Amino acid sequence: MAKYAFFLGCIAPLRYPGLEAATKKVMQHFGIELLDLNGASCCPAPGVFGSFDLWNWLVIAARNLSLGESLGADLTTICNGCYATLQEAWHILKEDPGKRRSVNEILSKINRTYNAKTGIKHVIEVFTNDIGIDKIKSSVKNPLEGLKVAIHYGCHFLKPRKIRGHGSSEKPHILEDIVKALGAEPIYYKEKLLCCGAGGGVRAGNLDTALEITARKLKSVKEAGADCILHPCSFCHFQFDRGQVELRERKGLEFNIPVIHLVQLIGLAVGIDPKSLGLYENEIPPTYLDKLGLG
Amino acid sequence: MKTLENPRVGVFVCECGGNISDVVDVKRVVKAASEWENVVVARHYTYMCSKPGVELIRQSIKKRGLNRVVIACCTPKMHRKMFERNVEEEGVNLAFLEVVNIREQCSWVHHEDPEGATLKAIDLIKGAVKKVEKATPLYPGKMPVKQAVLVIGGGIAGITAALRVAETGIKVYLVEKEPTIGGHMAKYAKVFPTLDCAQCILTPKMGEVAENTNIELLTLAEVVSVEGVPGDFKVKIKLKPRGVDVEKCVGCGACNRVCPVETVSDFDEGLGKRKAIYIPFPQAVPSAYVIDFNSCTKCGKCVEKCPRKAINLDDTEKEIEINVGAIIVATGFKLFDLSEYGEYKYGIHPNVITALQMERLMNVTGPTSGAIVRPSDGGEVKKIGYVLCAGSRDTNKGKPYCSRVCCLYAIKQALMMKEFMEGLDIWIHYIDLRAAGRRYEEFYKNAQIEGVKFVRGKVSEIIPDGDQLIVRAEDTTLGRPIENRYDLVVLCPPIVPSPEITKLAEILKIPLDEDGFVLEKHPKLDPVSTKREGIFACGVILGPKDIQTSVSEAEGAAAKAINFLIQKEKIIEPNKAYLATPEECDACGECIEVCPTEAISIASDKVEINEILCNGCGACIPACPKEALDLKGLSDEQLMAEIEGVLTGSESEIKILAFVENEIAYTALDLTGVARLSYPSSIRVIPVPSTSRLKLKHILYAFAKGADGIMFLEAPEHEGPFGKAHAIAEERIENYRFDIEDYDIDSVRIWFSKVYVPDWRKLVKVFETFDRMIKDEGPIDQETRENLLKKLEEESE
Ligand SMILES: Cc1cc2nc3c(=O)[nH]c(=O)nc-3n(C[C@H](O)[C@H](O)[C@H](O)COP(=O)(O)OP(=O)(O)OC[C@H]3O[C@@H](n4cnc5c(N)ncnc54)[C@H](O)[C@@H]3O)c2cc1C
Ligand code: SF4
Ligand code: SF4
Ligand code: SF4
Ligand code: SF4
Repeated sequence: MAKYAFFLGCIAPLRYPGLEAATKKVMQHFGIELLDLNGASCCPAPGVFGSFDLWNWLVIAARNLSLGESLGADLTTICNGCYATLQEAWHILKEDPGKRRSVNEILSKINRTYNAKTGIKHVIEVFTNDIGIDKIKSSVKNPLEGLKVAIHYGCHFLKPRKIRGHGSSEKPHILEDIVKALGAEPIYYKEKLLCCGAGGGVRAGNLDTALEITARKLKSVKEAGADCILHPCSFCHFQFDRGQVELRERKGLEFNIPVIHLVQLIGLAVGIDPKSLGLYENEIPPTYLDKLGLG
Repeated sequence: MKTLENPRVGVFVCECGGNISDVVDVKRVVKAASEWENVVVARHYTYMCSKPGVELIRQSIKKRGLNRVVIACCTPKMHRKMFERNVEEEGVNLAFLEVVNIREQCSWVHHEDPEGATLKAIDLIKGAVKKVEKATPLYPGKMPVKQAVLVIGGGIAGITAALRVAETGIKVYLVEKEPTIGGHMAKYAKVFPTLDCAQCILTPKMGEVAENTNIELLTLAEVVSVEGVPGDFKVKIKLKPRGVDVEKCVGCGACNRVCPVETVSDFDEGLGKRKAIYIPFPQAVPSAYVIDFNSCTKCGKCVEKCPRKAINLDDTEKEIEINVGAIIVATGFKLFDLSEYGEYKYGIHPNVITALQMERLMNVTGPTSGAIVRPSDGGEVKKIGYVLCAGSRDTNKGKPYCSRVCCLYAIKQALMMKEFMEGLDIWIHYIDLRAAGRRYEEFYKNAQIEGVKFVRGKVSEIIPDGDQLIVRAEDTTLGRPIENRYDLVVLCPPIVPSPEITKLAEILKIPLDEDGFVLEKHPKLDPVSTKREGIFACGVILGPKDIQTSVSEAEGAAAKAINFLIQKEKIIEPNKAYLATPEECDACGECIEVCPTEAISIASDKVEINEILCNGCGACIPACPKEALDLKGLSDEQLMAEIEGVLTGSESEIKILAFVENEIAYTALDLTGVARLSYPSSIRVIPVPSTSRLKLKHILYAFAKGADGIMFLEAPEHEGPFGKAHAIAEERIENYRFDIEDYDIDSVRIWFSKVYVPDWRKLVKVFETFDRMIKDEGPIDQETRENLLKKLEEESE
């Protein structure tokens, strides 16, 4: 079976360790080997770093990628931000031998090189390509029947379309396919393609603006009558979950929409214990578990 | 007719009233020439092109029994045709005339070097004498031009072209793939900028087509193959079954009323329904019903009801063959499929429609009889949003170009609605509003006055909300994002060439441009001709445009086709490739690969060259490993003789041979002369149709015979007359550069340049540089030359 070096990123280990636990459990369930990536740093974040200093962003990303190359494995990640940085850096260094040479000159100071032989796959790709929708479907023990899921892709997974290569960024369907395979119902809501609000350094730079966007998104999810928001990204997770507390405290807005990461939803459906998936570690309690009779 | 035996050559040197003789010592030239073998007469005269000059030549032919004539004067582009006529009248075949350019290539460019100019003139003339000695007679052929024209596509462009050609009495076949002619214009209610009723101006023209006895209308038809040559195309056409006899049907509609099958109407752009037996619109031409066999269940109800017994449910496909002299392509356009643009929700929400669907919606003959309602529920429309450039001018997912008419038809539709729907709120989202053209800006202004709202900025997303749509866009004037709620959103997608053109272009052997539109012969100066002789194009298949421009182009294409036909007989130039030693050819097909006109084919165990298709580029000749091919008018033997002549006429320090492509590069070279620029007199030119004509042995022979450097000046692939032959030239010469090293000749002694006419000034630099390089290298020593000659002789044995 396939093996991957698990690139944790910053948010999961620091804020939602349950996401890391869930990933390991689910991957183990499907027989995918996850290697520890010793010495990994921040990806570095595409907005906060990349927007200011593209060159150093590239060098640090190359260093992280080189760790996987030493292990002879592609990285995998549960965060769209890490994915954005590392996939784009991989792409650049694969296509541009000149940049690769310059980056390696710097990496040689710490005795590392990166030749773009290995890169990174998002867990979504691991689920759809390595495991496959059919296998997921046949592994379901707790069909998530009646669960109304508002899918959020997160901007960085889809765009830029040409580099990411996941087809239409405006009419995506990968997550819908998985959600349906699990027995749940993806529901339409107006703001489906809107950003979570956090990305691009907006959360760090201007929390109020970030929350405004989040509120708009949550309002639309609420109106559509969703039981939860499903997403494939630690950072979106943080923004939707912690963001609801901040919206309550700062703006007096109450949403109470549970937030669930793709690995957690799959874990739930294949019969992994909700507690060990970290579902209770969120700010917003997983009320949908009652509906599913799994609470 | 004077024959090949015993050449008797006359050399006539023109002074050009001092233009030549002030620099070139013509007396010395004449003296040198008179000493060569076979030269019977050598004369100089003030103006060879004047009446007495020509008379001098004619009298010499008569009195001295000349059978070869060499005239050294200005560029052959000036007077060659006139000299040809005169010597032919004296019985000298045009192949036995050589015109040497000692003005543009000698006196005008070496005015600071009279000695060099004189020596060079002697060389060039000797080359011509040697070449003409080896000439064989050439006879131009003639073929009748078929007096009929095929027009493909029956939109407004095709209709106009067909009518115009037919007016002259020439037979026209009009091929249309749909059951009726009319094209897109037939779907519109009104047209900008006049707001004329489209039907009122189009249907009379369609009627004229039906009535004109010179036009044979073929609907439900498709061109499947085109064979033959310009002037004589043989075209196969497939006719799909119509199910209704056009002659018998009177259009009563009895069949339509009883037909139980309902299906989506393509004429209504999928918005309405129609029966399996139907007429696209009341004024269709031919004016007859048609069965859509994809949905017909063959129940037979219509057959029972038809009072005219016009219906045949077992109708089958037919194929016919026609013979025409010229073809006009007018296959028009299609709208780009916007389903790739998920953000616009086209195909996802019924109230997001294209502008063409809007044309049907607002048309009284359309699916709602002209009522503008929400397709989702038939509900009232209070506010409409237009998305301009919905895919045009988008290098990401759409088309990079501007579709040119959408700004205007959006304004047209808005103005029409403003007139009959009180209180309707119309917003047009645009990025630039392009209303260039006569009365178009005024049209735009009018819409502003009528209260149509124009918002500058791109639409980012359309979000369905029940029966309504929320449009998110930027308003760059106010500098902020905006959000509007509409009942109906109209997208204006890119105009793309009708998809069948890809296959059709292959059949017609005409190239398309990077966006799939038909490529014009010249974008500025020959805009309605295709790259292939005898095939013309008009309307949107050449690029997006309005009706007015489509019609103008159609008139132009018709004039071009008529012009092509009135020659009645087409001259076939004699300078063609031919199989010189058929016994050598083993049909390996190497020559077929390189021929730009697909003139060569395999006939049993040998190749056969079609005289009419061959354009005489000569690219095939070096390709033949058996040396079985040769070129009439410039045979291998003639080339060798000319090379030898040019290099052995005089003693000069350094000799550089320049093989120059005879159209583009030669013209550029002449221009340096006209401008009296100056370059080294070491350069000696031999014109060739394309430098791809040259074999390695020609080059080696030139080095052996005294060349110190050889230049190749070639036309660029897209500008030159021979297309890919020009590219092959470059490739070939690059290889020769390596090959000559095997014969101890340094590769720097070969120079290749692609020459564009406007770059003629640069030629001087090129010549100076190469001259300096060769002078630095020094002349090739005698021993190397002799060894080379020996090797060449060995190889030829
Ligand atoms: C929504 C909209 C509104 C417009 N409104 C206006 C307006 O108000 N005023 C204006 O000036 N312009 C307008 N235009 C532009 C106008 O439609 C074109 O300029 C015009 O239709 C071009 O005519 P055409 O004959 O070149 O092409 P078409 O109208 O596309 O006709 C081409 C014909 O060729 C046929 N055909 C295609 N392929 C084949 C094949 N392989 N074999 C046989 N037949 C074939 C087609 O069936 C069709 O009948 C508008 C365009 C759009 C999209
Ligand atoms: S019933 Fe016969 S004549 Fe009448 S429209 Fe139909 S096919 Fe034509
Ligand atoms: S035979 Fe076909 S066209 Fe005629 S009525 Fe029946 S379904 Fe309609
Ligand atoms: S005509 Fe107007 S709407 Fe159409 S592509 Fe050009 S600018 Fe855009
Ligand atoms: S390659 Fe040129 S010369 Fe040879 S057959 Fe083709 S067109 Fe004629």
